[in-house]
Amino acid sequence: MANSVNISIEAPIENQIQEITYDGQEIYLAPLSMSENLARLAQKIDFSKTEDDFIGPAIKKEGEGSSDTKSEDETKDAGYQSSMWPWDSVRTKLRSALTEVCVLSDVLSIAKEKRYMVLDPIPAEQIDNRPMVQVYGRKKALAAAAAVLLAGVERLKASETMRTARNMPDFHIDLLRLRQNWRLKKVSNTIVGDLSYRTAGSKFTQTGVFEVTKASEDSIAHQMSLSAGAGGGAGAAPSALRVTVPPELQGVAFITVLCQKEQEDVVTATLNSSALNCPSTLPGEGAELHWQQKLEAAQNVLFCKELFARLAAEAVQLDASIPHMVVANQIMATVLPGIQLLIGLCHNNGQNNQNNGDGVKSEAQSGAGIGKPEHDHVLEHSLHQLLRAVHHSNTHHPFPHPATGPLGPSKRRCLAGPMAADRYELLDMSKEQSLLEQIIQQAQHFFMRRRAEIVLDTIASKEVKDPLIVSHWNALNSPTQSCVKINIMSQGYDAVCRTSLVVHVGEKTLKCICRDGKVRHMSYELQELRDLIYCQIYQHQMVAVQAVARCMGWQLLASSSHLGSGPVEPLGNASSCLLASPSGDRMIAVRCEPSVGIQVFIAQSPRKDFFVSELVQDKKWEHLGGSFKEIKLERMEGKNFLNKMELLMACLSSPT
Amino acid sequence: MGVTVLQQFPVPENKTGTYVIEMLSKRILALGATQQGQFLVDCESYLSHPQMGTTKTVHILHNSEQPASVFSILESGNKNIHVIADGLFDLFMIKLSQHYTSKKQTKIESKGPRFELGDFCIKLGSVTMNQSFKGILIEVEYRPCVTANAVWGLLREFLQGLLGSSTVIQPPQHLKNRMSEIYTPIDTVHQYLELFSAYRKTTALRVQ
Repeated sequence: MANSVNISIEAPIENQIQEITYDGQEIYLAPLSMSENLARLAQKIDFSKTEDDFIGPAIKKEGEGSSDTKSEDETKDAGYQSSMWPWDSVRTKLRSALTEVCVLSDVLSIAKEKRYMVLDPIPAEQIDNRPMVQVYGRKKALAAAAAVLLAGVERLKASETMRTARNMPDFHIDLLRLRQNWRLKKVSNTIVGDLSYRTAGSKFTQTGVFEVTKASEDSIAHQMSLSAGAGGGAGAAPSALRVTVPPELQGVAFITVLCQKEQEDVVTATLNSSALNCPSTLPGEGAELHWQQKLEAAQNVLFCKELFARLAAEAVQLDASIPHMVVANQIMATVLPGIQLLIGLCHNNGQNNQNNGDGVKSEAQSGAGIGKPEHDHVLEHSLHQLLRAVHHSNTHHPFPHPATGPLGPSKRRCLAGPMAADRYELLDMSKEQSLLEQIIQQAQHFFMRRRAEIVLDTIASKEVKDPLIVSHWNALNSPTQSCVKINIMSQGYDAVCRTSLVVHVGEKTLKCICRDGKVRHMSYELQELRDLIYCQIYQHQMVAVQAVARCMGWQLLASSSHLGSGPVEPLGNASSCLLASPSGDRMIAVRCEPSVGIQVFIAQSPRKDFFVSELVQDKKWEHLGGSFKEIKLERMEGKNFLNKMELLMACLSSPT
Repeated sequence: MGVTVLQQFPVPENKTGTYVIEMLSKRILALGATQQGQFLVDCESYLSHPQMGTTKTVHILHNSEQPASVFSILESGNKNIHVIADGLFDLFMIKLSQHYTSKKQTKIESKGPRFELGDFCIKLGSVTMNQSFKGILIEVEYRPCVTANAVWGLLREFLQGLLGSSTVIQPPQHLKNRMSEIYTPIDTVHQYLELFSAYRKTTALRVQ
């Protein structure tokens, strides 16, 4: 090793160096074994330390305790060589503890004997009972407390007098009022309120937290001057409260429902539907609102958002034959072929004013040309009502519900078990109509009703003048079903004959119950209703003619409501009747074809054009009756068809 | 809910239960029926504790046709009292375990395919008790009718057509004196209980 120079590459030292010999060799300490390590750590524990804190320096001085700590300090400096035995310090400490305990037990046993030693209670250290000092001390403390209270009172008084002097509102009274109407709680130093519909049964995730603060005096004064300027009453009443609503709930929101003709394609539909844009300015927006109005508006925003979120979710989930579309803040659904329902959420929180302003401008321009379609108040209202009903049913469970059973299922579902409902009934119960479906049904019904009205009115007022058609709509109806009673009668003859029928207008179908008890179901195509009404009108005319004939003493020879003769009718069948005069010498034949109208023929029985021929020689054959001749009804006198027929019958009955 | 008749089908010698079920399924499908899932009727019996006086038996039955209901029939003397409750009744029986102990080894069930054919609903059930095959029960329901009298002829004819003319078809014991009353789901359960009790008494058939 001395001959050559080695370049040594070595790992960094892991072990402690014990000593370096003169030739540069390093003697390492062997790494500590587990037990050694434990002993080393045990040595470091200062057993007397906690004791010393309590017992005080007196014991520490006693014997080995203090020397031990000293030696411990030494060991720290000098390493481990100095300790003879690793557990030595522990042993010495235990020994000192033992000594102390022994001494204590000796003392106690001696004291117990009461012969050599008596333990006397040491009187507590005499309190310095100089009364004057105490009095002064207390006086000073009280004075300090009083000063704090007085300062507070002074401040309160000052603000109160200023408030009364300037007729300012009281914060606490306002807070009381707020507390009566809204849910508030105190969180550390702030007052926080909740305006969500959670307690009313809503399950919407968005929170409606608002903060209540005291308005600064300047702003109150400003408000007061404003309201005074407005002449009192018109402006918002000044309030010492200021409510801070989260930005997403600020402003005004509402749901618009619009029914419109379906656009050619989706793009134009979305472009043209700018009718749903919000107006850029809303009444009372500039002015600072009263907190009540502000909170109500915010609550309304929250409600509209929940409603729209729910509808949008349903629109995506429902698989309709024509899928519903959700684009931005609009939902499009097809109500009936060619008619679209647009539900939009308008939220104006003052931040996107610019965009909306543009939208409204363009809409105003286009609206000037086309004419802005009216949005549907009734459907909007029923949408709100539907969500309220959902909220209500979330919190109000039908009574009686079992104490142990699950809450929530409907009464029918509760009874399903005991009533042994089968799987079909249970499946039926599990179906629940979504809000969107319900609103679509209402819209469908609305259109069906309006179309039926239009059909009936056009028939009654424009197309058919002769029999009068009177339709009575039931004033009370459900949102998805209504009922109309139709009376067909002729003026002046309503006591003789009237035909009545009832039409139930549903969501997509019509049900017509005729006088004879026949029920006819019709689709949403209103042509079917038209055809039915026309058939009923002609049927009415035929029945009415027969009734008039009966009154006039004429005899009904034959009648058929479904004639097999003649050309095929596009709707219904031709009907006819044959009437004979009381003396039997005249006959009237009435034929009614819905496509042509009513034709009337007459014949008389001693035929005037009877001539004796070679074949028919006898005179009696003239009584057989001749050929029928058509009468031109339109040139006859009379107000209506029945009146004409009456005149005709009267004329033919006269003996001339 | 229509009228249901439960009929036992004898398993011929050297044939297994699955074979018979398959054979009957083929026959029904040939008639034009469609299979509509499976069905299960199970029955568990509880004995009252001897300390309560005379021992009574409570049968708890479930029928997959009425999935929300639990049928319980209490045998007391010669009179049977039934209670129809919802699913929580099972939990209630656990609470009553001090007074009514379950005879686990007698739990018996009938399950198999369910077919629909027009107004008829046919269920082919193989009855097992403790995994041992016991026999075959055929349930035929005619849904549009509610009194057994009115439909008995039709059901008999249908069953004879299905099972072969050799089988003698009698109205079930339970239905015999209720032929003119309105049929309810508990009547089906009573029929099952009758046949299950009969099966319990017999020794097990060969394993399928």
